[in-house]
Amino acid sequence: MATLPLTLAPPTATPSGADGEAAIADDPELQAGFTSWERAGDGRRVGRSHLRLAGLWCAGCAGTIERALQAEPGVLEANASYAAQRATVVWDPAATRVSSLLATIRRAGYDAAPDAAASARALRQAEERKALWRLFVAVFCMMQVMMYQAPLYVAEPGTLSPDLRTLLLWAAWVLSIPVVLFSAAPMFRDAWEAMRQRRIGMDLPVAIGILITFVVSTGATFAPGGLFGAEPYFDSLTMFVAFLLGGRYLALKARHRVAASLEGALSRLPSAVRRLASDDRVELIGLHRLVPGDRVRVLAGESFPADGPLESAAEVDEALLTGESRPVAKRPGDEAIAGSFNLAGPVVQRVERVGPDTRYAGIVSLMRTAMSARPPLLRAADRIAAPFLWGVLLLAVWAGAAWSMIDPTRAVWVMVSVLVVTCPCALSLAAPSALLAAAGALIRRGVLVQRFDALEGLAALDTICFDKTGTITEACPQVLLAELQPAGRDAGLDEAGVRAIAALLATSSTHPLSAALAAQAPALPAPITFTHVAEFPGFGVQAIGSDNRVYRLGAAGWATRGGAETVATAGPETWLAGPDGALARFAFAEVLRADAPQTMAQLAGAGLELRLLSGDAADRVHDVARRLGIAEAQGDATPADKLDTIAALQADGRRVGMVGDGLNDAPVMARADVSFAIGEGPALTRSHADFVLLSGRLGDIAEARRIAQRAMRIVRQNMAWAVAYNLTCVPLALLGLFPPWAAGLGMAASSLFVVLNALRVDRRPRSPRHPAAEAAAA
Amino acid sequence: MDILFLLIPFSVLLVFALMAAFLWALQTSQFDDLDREGTRILGDDDPDLDVDQASPGALARHSSSP
Repeated sequence: MATLPLTLAPPTATPSGADGEAAIADDPELQAGFTSWERAGDGRRVGRSHLRLAGLWCAGCAGTIERALQAEPGVLEANASYAAQRATVVWDPAATRVSSLLATIRRAGYDAAPDAAASARALRQAEERKALWRLFVAVFCMMQVMMYQAPLYVAEPGTLSPDLRTLLLWAAWVLSIPVVLFSAAPMFRDAWEAMRQRRIGMDLPVAIGILITFVVSTGATFAPGGLFGAEPYFDSLTMFVAFLLGGRYLALKARHRVAASLEGALSRLPSAVRRLASDDRVELIGLHRLVPGDRVRVLAGESFPADGPLESAAEVDEALLTGESRPVAKRPGDEAIAGSFNLAGPVVQRVERVGPDTRYAGIVSLMRTAMSARPPLLRAADRIAAPFLWGVLLLAVWAGAAWSMIDPTRAVWVMVSVLVVTCPCALSLAAPSALLAAAGALIRRGVLVQRFDALEGLAALDTICFDKTGTITEACPQVLLAELQPAGRDAGLDEAGVRAIAALLATSSTHPLSAALAAQAPALPAPITFTHVAEFPGFGVQAIGSDNRVYRLGAAGWATRGGAETVATAGPETWLAGPDGALARFAFAEVLRADAPQTMAQLAGAGLELRLLSGDAADRVHDVARRLGIAEAQGDATPADKLDTIAALQADGRRVGMVGDGLNDAPVMARADVSFAIGEGPALTRSHADFVLLSGRLGDIAEARRIAQRAMRIVRQNMAWAVAYNLTCVPLALLGLFPPWAAGLGMAASSLFVVLNALRVDRRPRSPRHPAAEAAAA
Repeated sequence: MDILFLLIPFSVLLVFALMAAFLWALQTSQFDDLDREGTRILGDDDPDLDVDQASPGALARHSSSP
C-alpha cells in the first residue's frame, strides 16, 4: 500500500467543510428524511426539521441553542431538548436553509446534524403523550369522584337527603365514564385481543373487574334497591384504573428509555463523508454513495463511515463493541470499523466494506433481532399465567356465589377484589424482567445475548470447553516463516511464489489462520490461478489449479495426504500441498489473548471444569493448556471428535458450554448447552452462538456468568414474592377484607416491585473485584 | 344546602375544562422534557430594555414573529 506523508497536504480547490455538508443538508431528497412540510398560520409553506445535537453538557445549553436559533431570521419556532439531545426547528424556506441553522448552532458552540431517526422517536413520543393523557384523566377523575363519594361515607345516616345523594352519584358516574371508556381502553383492547387468540392474558381479569364494577355501580345509581343493590363503587373503580395505568406508564417510559439509548448507541454513522479522489482532492459526498475501494479522510471527533484499514496510525474509540471508551491504538494497516470514533487526528481510511456488510450493520441487526425476540418469552410467561388466571376467574365466581348467600351487598365487591388483587403480572414478569435487565447489562459490556433462555443455562454451567485457535489465542496470528519443501523447489517456486499461492487460496477460507495468510499482500500475483475452491471445515481449503491439478492448503495430514506430519514447533502451522506433494509449510507465531490466564483462573476458581479442544497438534495443545492451567486438553480433534467429547460430557449429566469462533465450530456450539462466539471480523456477526463476545475479551465469559447467576437469583426472588403476595392477598380478598381500591394498589405495587428488583441485576459490587470476593458473591 | 344543586354540576364542568387545559399543555410539548422546563427559570433571556425604541431590529422582529 502506498504510504502517505504524515502531514496531509491541504485539499485544493474544494468546497470548505461547511459548504460541502450544506450541499447534503439542503439536498431535497435527503432532507425528506428529517424534515416535514406544513402550512403556517398565514398559509406559508414551512419546514419542520429534526436535528441531532451534540456538545450539550447541561440543561441550560438547550436554552442557549433555542435562543440562538430564534434569533435567526426565518426561524419561526425552535425547541431544543437536553434530555433527548434533539432540536426541532420550524423554518421558512424563503428566508433560511437547514445549513444556516446548522451553522448557527455551531457558532453558538455546539454541533448539530440532521436526525435520521426522527420518525421512530416521533412514534415513541406520540405513544408517551397518549399514555400520559390517559393517566391524567384517570387520576384527575379519581380525585373528583372520591370527593363526590366522600359524603356517602362520612354522612350520619339520615342527614344526607336522597336528592343530594342521587346528585352526587350522578356526578361521580359522569366522571367515571371517561375513565372507563378512554383511560381503561388499552386494557379492554388487550383482553379482547387475547380472547380472540383464544388465550387468557393478564388483562382479562382486570377488564372483567372494571366492567362488572361499572355496571353494578351504574345500576346502583339509577335504580337503587333494584337488581344491583344500592352500593356504588365509582371511587374504587377509578382508583384502581389510575393505579394500574400508573404502573403501565412507568413501564412504557422504561421501555422507551431502553429503545432510545439503543438508538443513540447505534446512530453513529456520519451522514457526509470526505472522499479522497485519486489526486487527493477532497469531495464531500453522502454516506450512501461510498463504495469499497474509496479512500476517505476522517477527522478527529468524527466516526468512521465504513470498515477498512487505516493508512496511518490513529487512536480509536471502539465503545460500540467493547463498551469501553479507552482509546485503542491502531497501527497503519489495522482495520477500523464503521461507527467507531476517531480520536487523535485526521486519518485516511481505505473503504473495504460499506452499508449492510459492515460489522456495525451486523451488530445492529443482531441487536434488533435479540430485542424483538421478547415475544416468545412473554408468550411463555403467559403460558404460566394461563392456568393461574383460570383459577382466579373460577375463584372469583365462587366467591361471588358464596357471598351472595351470606351477605349479598358485599358479593360484587368481593368478586371484584379477588379479580383485581391477584397479580399474574408479577408471576409473568418475574423471569422476563430479570433476563431482559441482564441482557441489557451484558450488551453494555460488549456481550450480545442472542438467546435469552441461554442466561438460565449459563448460570447452571459446570463445564466449559474452549477452542484454541482464534479463541484462546489472538485471532490474527503472524506468519512466522514460509518454509519451502522439496516438491515446491522442484516445481520452480520460490518463497514469494508459495506465499502468493497460499494468500490466494486463503482468501476463500474463514479460518483464523487464513486471515493471516491472506493478509500477506504479496508483491507479485500468484503463478497459478484457481477454480472450484472448496473449504473443508477443520481441515482446509482445496482448489483446482490452472494446471488442472488439485491443490490443498490446510492441516498437515489432510493437505499432504499423509505425506507430512506436524512438527513440534512453537505455534500452529499450515501446509500448502500440490499434486506432487508438500510445497510449503507456514508456521505462525501463536499469541495467547492477554486476559486468557486470568480468565481461566477466575473460571476454575468459580468451580468450573475447563477443557481445551483443538484441531491443532496434540503436544502444542497440551503445552498451551499447561501454560493456562487447564486440566484437560485434547488435540488433533476433528469436529466430529469435539462433538463426541461434548456428547460424552452431557451424557455424564454435566452442563457444557463451548467457546469458539462461531463459524468453524458451528455444529459443536449448537450441541453444547450454552455457546460463546469470540473473534474478529464480520463473520462473528453471522454466528448463531447464544452469546457473542463483541469485545474480544475472554474475561467477559466470567462476567456474563456472574450476571446470569445474579439474574437467576432475582428471578427466584421475584417468583417467591409473586407467590407470597398472591397467597396472602387472595384469602384476604375472599374474606372481604380487601377493598377494591386496595386491590388495585396492591396489583400495581407488586408488578412495580418485580420490575425494580430486576433492575438490581446490574448493580456492581462495591468491594474491589478479586477472585475470592467474586467466588463469594457468585 | 340547596346551593349544592348548582355547585356540583358546575364542578363537573370545571373538571372537563381543566382536562382540556391539560390536553392543550400536553399537545404543545410542555411535558416532553421536564428538566428543561424546570431550568428555564434560570435562563437570562430578558432582552435588554430598549427605552427609546431606537434599535431598528426591534420593529422588524416584532412584525415577523407570529
